Order: sequence, then structure tokens, then C-alpha cells
Amino acid sequence: MYKLTRLVTLADPASAPALADDIRALAAAYSVSRQLVAPTLPGSHFGGDLIAHFAFDDAAQCAAFDTALAPLLAVPTVVSVDGVAYQSGAGGRSDPGLANGVYRVLLLSVDEGTDPALVERFEAETRMMPHYIPAIRNWQLSRFDTATGARRWTHVWEQEYADAAGLMGPYMMHPYHWARIDRWFDPECPDHIVDARLCHSFCAMQASVL
Amino acid sequence: MTTGDTAVTPMVHAIDEIVAQPGEGKALLDDYLAHYALGARARGMKLEQILVSPPMWLDDQSNTLTFRWSLAGAGAWWQMRFVGGNDPDVAAWWAEVDVRAVSRRRFFASEPADIEGLCDV
Repeated sequence: MYKLTRLVTLADPASAPALADDIRALAAAYSVSRQLVAPTLPGSHFGGDLIAHFAFDDAAQCAAFDTALAPLLAVPTVVSVDGVAYQSGAGGRSDPGLANGVYRVLLLSVDEGTDPALVERFEAETRMMPHYIPAIRNWQLSRFDTATGARRWTHVWEQEYADAAGLMGPYMMHPYHWARIDRWFDPECPDHIVDARLCHSFCAMQASVL
Repeated sequence: MTTGDTAVTPMVHAIDEIVAQPGEGKALLDDYLAHYALGARARGMKLEQILVSPPMWLDDQSNTLTFRWSLAGAGAWWQMRFVGGNDPDVAAWWAEVDVRAVSRRRFFASEPADIEGLCDV
């Protein structure tokens, strides 16, 4: 599966619904396997005002849609776009039928020159989060093919929850997160390899997209 | 963990273990207390213990300095993390320490009795 995610920051967040309608209409004309276009929820951090997330069966379809989408986002009302195009990485689904839940995406940038063995260890530990934190219903950790925005994004960490409380509660407060995984992110920890600038964004979803 | 009917927030610990460059142990300890500890306390950290190994100041070998801080639960931990993690002065401090240290670790822990409460989220 090939995927495209755009986090769109608008000059006026009130214009998000209209832009979302335009993007959905465009997606309907392309071979989009799954799509999620929704305003971000309060608590997002550098996550934009609108999440636009799409999945395709092959890379060509993804690239064609990316090209078609670009003009919609290259308008004065769009302040900035952080985004990635990527092939699906390892994932898991404990609740594939999850409906009316919350989709969350984290864009992160591992420092250039980081030992590849360390990156693999970071990835392996991150992939274990759903094992320790069951509130993560469905998940996927992927490396990027192409990235745009405030950083040279290297990874996308996607999760789905039954509700926002699953993200804000168990995900954030479980010790596997703050006492284990976060050392890769914490500038105070010598193990840190991830740039402090992150895109943490989440929105309501009607059906699972992972 | 409860006392009577009152829930007690499980205490968590942040532990810095710094292996100083040979002969740097005492100066690094003094600087840690003078330059880092004040800000750490303002971020909600309470300095519980300092250990020096071996218990003498070495001038040709490394001393290992261990600092154990406590925080009032995961919420206080995140408060500390958000403030410290976004403070360029804190990052600059650790960059300086890393030059003066052979190695360094920071890790987080709790007492065994608090594990169940910390994982019940």
C-alpha cells in the first residue's frame, strides 16, 4: 500500500471544511483505496488544521494524485503543509472494524547521520508500543519516500484509538511511553536521535484507514 | 497505591548517571548543582540523592556522579519533559556536560510497589 499524508495549516481554520470538500471531490476522481480528510482536533501540535490522508494500491496512483492535489494546497489561504508520501511499513490491527474513532499521526525526523542500528532499535521499540498499550487499536510505522514541510521527515507513526481519551490517557501516560520510548525524543537524554520539532496531529475518523 | 481512601500518585524517579572526564568529577558536580539543579527544581523535580563513586575525588581517573530526582507521577514527568525539552539553555547545558563526560545516562524508574499503579492508565 502506498500512502500520502498532508497536514495543512490554514490562514483561517474556518476555511477547512470547504478545502476538505474540494480535496474529497478530487480524491473521488482518482484511484484512492482509502481516504480520510478531516479537521484536526484540539491538542494537535504543529499538526495543521486539516489532515488529508490517502492510500493507494501502487506508487503510480499515489504520485498522480499527489500531483493533482498540489495546486489545491498552493493557494494563499494555505499557510504551510507538512507531509509525506510513503510505502506502508510494519503495522498491526487489533480492531480493524474500528468505527467513529480517532486517527493520530506523528511525523518525526531522525537526525541525519544517526547509526542505522540505532534507528532500527528505535523502530523496534516503537513497534512494541501497542503490545504494552492496548488503547492503540491499529497502528503502522513507516519510513518516508518523500517529505515536505518544516523538517526532513523520516518516519510516520500512525495509530487509531477508540476515542481521544485513548490517545491523551493510556498512550501518553503509560510508562512504556514516557520512561522507555521518549528517551529517543528527549533532548535531555543522551539517547535522543529525533529532532524536537514534531508534527502531532489527530482527527475523528468514521472508519479505520490503517 | 492508596492510603485509606486517598489515592496517592506513584512517585517516579529521573536518574542522571554521569561518568566525568578524569579529574573533572568535583567541578562537574559543582556545576550541575549551580547551573542545572535550580532550573530542574523549577520544572517540578526534587533532588533526592547524590552519589559519588568511588567516594573520593580522583584526579587521574573518572568519578561517576549519580543524581536521583523524584517527580509526582507521570503528569509531573510530562510537565518536566515539555518545559525542559523546549528550553535551549537546558540543551546547551547537556551539550557542555557531554564534552566533560566520558559517558552519560538518564533513565526513569519507580519502586516496584508503584509499577501496577503507573501502568493502570
